[in-house]
Amino acid sequence: MSNQKKRNFQIEAFKHRVVVDPKYAEKTWKILEHAIHEIYNHNASGLSFEELYRNAYNMVLHKFGEKLYSGLVSTMTLHLKEISKSIEAAQGGSFLEELNRKWNDHNKALQMIRDILMYMDRTYIPSTHKTPVHELGLNLWRDNIVRSNKIQTRLLNTLLELVHRERTGEVINRGLMRNIIKMLMDLGPSVYQEDFEKPFLEVSAEFYKVESQKFIECCDCGEYLKKAERRLNEEMERVTHYLDAKSEAKITNVVEKEMIANHMPRLVHMDNSGLVNMLLDDKYEDLGRMYNLFRRVPSGLLTIREVMTSHLRETGKQLVTDPERLKDPVEFVQRLLDEKDKYDNIISSAFNNDKTFQNALNSSFEYFINLNPRSPEFISLFVDDKLRKGLKGVSEEDVETILDKVMMLFRYLQEKDVFEKYYKQHLAKRLLSGKTVSDDAERSLIVKLKTECGYQFTSKLEGMFTDMKTSQDTMHGFYASHPELGDSRTLVVQVLTTGSWPTQPSVTCNLPAEMSALCEKFRSYYLGTHTGRRLSWQTNMGSADIKATFGKGQKHELNVSTYQMCVLMLFNNADRLSYREIEQATEIPASDLKRCLQSLACVRGKNVLRKEPMSKDIGEDDAFFVNDKFTSKFYKVKIGTVVAQKESEPEKQETRQRVEEDRKPQIEAAIVRIMKSRRVLDHNNIIAEVTKQLQSRFLANPTEIKKRIESLIERDFLERDNVDRKLYRYLA
Amino acid sequence: MILVDGITLLCNDLQVDPQDIVMLVVSWHMKAATMCEFSKQEFIGGLQSLGIDSLDKFRERISFMRAELKDEQKFREIYNFAFAWAKEKGQKSLALDTAIGMWQLLFAEKQWPLVDHWCQFLQAKHNKAISRDTWSQLLEFARTVDPALSNYDAEGAWPYLIDEFVEYLTENGIVQNR
Repeated sequence: MSNQKKRNFQIEAFKHRVVVDPKYAEKTWKILEHAIHEIYNHNASGLSFEELYRNAYNMVLHKFGEKLYSGLVSTMTLHLKEISKSIEAAQGGSFLEELNRKWNDHNKALQMIRDILMYMDRTYIPSTHKTPVHELGLNLWRDNIVRSNKIQTRLLNTLLELVHRERTGEVINRGLMRNIIKMLMDLGPSVYQEDFEKPFLEVSAEFYKVESQKFIECCDCGEYLKKAERRLNEEMERVTHYLDAKSEAKITNVVEKEMIANHMPRLVHMDNSGLVNMLLDDKYEDLGRMYNLFRRVPSGLLTIREVMTSHLRETGKQLVTDPERLKDPVEFVQRLLDEKDKYDNIISSAFNNDKTFQNALNSSFEYFINLNPRSPEFISLFVDDKLRKGLKGVSEEDVETILDKVMMLFRYLQEKDVFEKYYKQHLAKRLLSGKTVSDDAERSLIVKLKTECGYQFTSKLEGMFTDMKTSQDTMHGFYASHPELGDSRTLVVQVLTTGSWPTQPSVTCNLPAEMSALCEKFRSYYLGTHTGRRLSWQTNMGSADIKATFGKGQKHELNVSTYQMCVLMLFNNADRLSYREIEQATEIPASDLKRCLQSLACVRGKNVLRKEPMSKDIGEDDAFFVNDKFTSKFYKVKIGTVVAQKESEPEKQETRQRVEEDRKPQIEAAIVRIMKSRRVLDHNNIIAEVTKQLQSRFLANPTEIKKRIESLIERDFLERDNVDRKLYRYLA
Repeated sequence: MILVDGITLLCNDLQVDPQDIVMLVVSWHMKAATMCEFSKQEFIGGLQSLGIDSLDKFRERISFMRAELKDEQKFREIYNFAFAWAKEKGQKSLALDTAIGMWQLLFAEKQWPLVDHWCQFLQAKHNKAISRDTWSQLLEFARTVDPALSNYDAEGAWPYLIDEFVEYLTENGIVQNR
């Protein structure tokens, strides 16, 4: 156009005269209908996509979308009904194959149809809120095929039958299964779940109910668990191969419930193969399997834990109260350690180091160790044995390991103060007799006790070590300042601070003349350098080495206690001495003297004295002679008894009494502490608080606490409230 | 000081037995420190507080004083007073024999069915002096716990001696096991 005027150039829609042929829609539809038929008949190659698309487009454009849509629905439905018949006609195994084949065909067809009708899909359908083509195709498939009367039940049964066969060991066509299942999934989650998954789970539950019943009648626990584990794995594998991943949790739940949860008590308590047997025989693999299976079900681990706990408590109780075992304390403690090791291993190897199991183990041990009131004493004796000889030649690491294990047992003790008392006694004996295998080991244990119980617990023990060291220095000083005594150190003195060492009543004993002069020298030396102190000789704790020549000239060096030395030295001046004479001369208390004489005259291999009459008991008129016929393989003969031993009944009572006495001031101190800060407190709360405060040392007896409260009232530390007699008040 | 002889004379004049419990009430009014002794201050002070200025008036007041024992609150005060009054000067606790005597006297008024068992129990098992706390708590026990011990609370913060007494009663079948 050569119009030079400045005008906006407008572009107008291309108009061409469209003849609206009334039969137009019908004609167009027929074309499309035909196309759909061809597609379903696998004749799609002869079609022109462009033409068909245009036809569909025009129909929608000219407002014939409704016709198109409903035509689509009826045409597809028609085809699907035919397909349905052919599937129904399939026999046996080919049923699924036919279904699968037709499904694939349908999908391909649907794809093509959707492409052709894309314009409708994008415009007419959204605006009318109708189902999109693809989805429509799936729904029609679902309603006409999968949920048709003749197919629905048959399909389900076929699938379930295949699963069952696979469970009984047959090989099935997994690929086909996967495709069919995927078909159900594609048709929508409710189809998969309603038409397959729910019945599948029900049937599986039934299957496993029967199977578990059969197994449990004929298998022992370990075998049963293996089978259960295998089935569980199978089901998980089945899911990965041809089921929806979401089904895994559901089917495993079914197996867990039917095979494990329903039979837990019976499995755990099975004779000869149940949990207790597994524990006894250290069957780590079986135990581990049980742990892994049971943890999947509610209260599974609880069940295992409960059975283990009650078994442990029972065995522990027997261990601890068995009179045979109680004869040898070291053996006793060793058995406890072995039992602990055993269960530690079980928990780490089979129970995944599960903390709740550790706790159950700890509480069980705490329970039965405290059933035997002698446990603290025995543990101290065990340590004593180790420190005396048991740890000889053992590497430092191993020493630490053993001591740590002992500490574990110590922690379980409720009466730690009783242990402390015995430990002090045993330590004193070890130190004084110089019989400890390793100073480092001793120190290491003290440190561990301090870490566990605090400074007060070990301060006295450490004092004992200090005394030993100081005594060495004192000895040096003494001999340095008395050069006339020469090089031989006849006298070795350990000066013990009274508060730190176990209390001993001081006793009378006349030292032989040869000794008393030297002892006096030491006394004046010591008091010269330490004014304001008092020394008393503990003759019941000393030892001596004396050289003796017997009748036939045999010479021996005898290691004896101080008492024994005093007695033997008397025979330098007399050949025959009666008991009375010995008693008079030595002034040793009767019971100690009798024991001393027995150890010198009545023990085979150590009888350096001869006694008339030869009886074991010591009578007032018995006579004693040097045993000239005494022989021994060794030059050095040890007769003294300063070794720590299991206490006799009366000694035990005495120690127990002392412990009880020691507890009284501790209880009172606790009461005063608590009342001072709380000012006013009622009876039950005081008892609770005091018990809690003293827990780390011993279990306080409520009656004893009450008595202490009354004593404190009497001494005007506390008073009862005027109105509420259960309330106590602190009096400043 | 009015001592034993003086008191005997007084009792004669009052026509009252020296062992009569009313003398305890008199002592209480006088705030006497020890039994069988009245200091001049205590005697005069007590008479003044009672409003007594003649022997006759004194005799009249006797029945009033007897009645006072029936009052719950006054009885408790008199009972607790008796502890300090009956014990030896300078001692903290009350000798067992004296305590038993006092209890017999006091509980004759108050009527506690278990008093004889209590005294027997003490003589058999305890044989030591009685503390103040035990003394005062016993009254509470007699007042609040019924003789069949049905409402005895083991956690009730009773003195240990009383707990032992309960044990003694159940062991000897005097009271049924609960």
